[in-house]
Amino acid sequence: MKGIILAFLGSFCPALLFNIEKNKLIWAGICGATGWTVYNSIYSYSGNKIYAAFIASVVISLISEIMAKLLKTPATVFNVPSLFPIVPGVSAYYTILYIIENDLTAAAYKGIETLGIAGAIAFGIILVSTIFRYINTRKRRKAI
Amino acid sequence: MDVKEVLDIAMLSGEILLTNGSETYRVEETIERICSAYDIESECFVVPTGIFLSGCSKNDTKDSISLVKRIKERTINLHKIKMINSFSRSLKDRRISYDEAMKFLKGLDSAPSFPYYKSLLAAGVTSFAYAMLFGSSAINGIVAAFISILIYYAEDKITVINLLPFFSEFIWSFITGILAVFINKYILPINIDSVIIGSIIVLFPGIAITNGIRDALYGDILSSQVRLAEALYTVTAIGAGVGISLLLMKYWM
Repeated sequence: MKGIILAFLGSFCPALLFNIEKNKLIWAGICGATGWTVYNSIYSYSGNKIYAAFIASVVISLISEIMAKLLKTPATVFNVPSLFPIVPGVSAYYTILYIIENDLTAAAYKGIETLGIAGAIAFGIILVSTIFRYINTRKRRKAI
Repeated sequence: MDVKEVLDIAMLSGEILLTNGSETYRVEETIERICSAYDIESECFVVPTGIFLSGCSKNDTKDSISLVKRIKERTINLHKIKMINSFSRSLKDRRISYDEAMKFLKGLDSAPSFPYYKSLLAAGVTSFAYAMLFGSSAINGIVAAFISILIYYAEDKITVINLLPFFSEFIWSFITGILAVFINKYILPINIDSVIIGSIIVLFPGIAITNGIRDALYGDILSSQVRLAEALYTVTAIGAGVGISLLLMKYWM
């Protein structure tokens, strides 16, 4: 529960720093908290960060695409702040810190983990947005 | 409206999108959408450091105009992306004049943003949340929030450091490291690692790395390389700043 509130704050406040509109802040926060909860529960269940990041990013993109439809904004507005808790900024930082401390094995481990998580998140986003684009174009074709 | 004016509008929209952290494909789509709304054939090539755009009218394909724009700095401002997005979509139904469009685009610079104290507070709460999310007690979170607010304020006021790219990240993470060790030594014992991570979480290029890979998956290989390289240099600057400050303080104290 503590984690959920912290994750909510952790997407709400970056959303404010990235300057999204006032009435959408809270949705970005909820979206981020949901994503982080999914990430955390899958990670503690399977112990696989990359898998957890992929599922969480699929969930976040689904929610943000649906909210983008409802509130008529591009999905990025919700995507970017709500992914903030799971993007691999910290592991990228550790990679460099380990290199400076001359612990190259740990650095390689963290570096590959960083790329893996980033790739998983990007793949999750693209998967969902491609599906939504496909549905959109089909709808438009039917309308014509 | 003549070709030059339409390309000007498209270029300015693209520039605003790119400087405010939009994806490459969105910039290209927006420019093409604006040009086709005014019946102009265009071809554009966008990388995170610049926009190349050329176009001609559909009736007279011999007379084409090309524009190049260099992009120097990139931040994230999602409100402007949203405004440009709805602006470019609205053009399809209702063409507006050059002056009207330029007035709208120039007016975006003074678009409503949050008052300064709220941004400060948000920076503090972000640091508090992440210091605690990475497993430490509330006191560490409060120290991280304090350092973060200090750094955010200083970063805004002291702009001399921004002359060189990546230098400001280095300096601010260096100062964060020194502050954390100092507080740990003389004021109260803290978990240095989580306090440092919490304080500079906003500087970490996690979003940039993810966007870099996303660009590659959309087929913009060059943009992807630029973004990943930028993220790598940023995180190297941060890591070097923190690492050097920790090493220094180890010998000094």
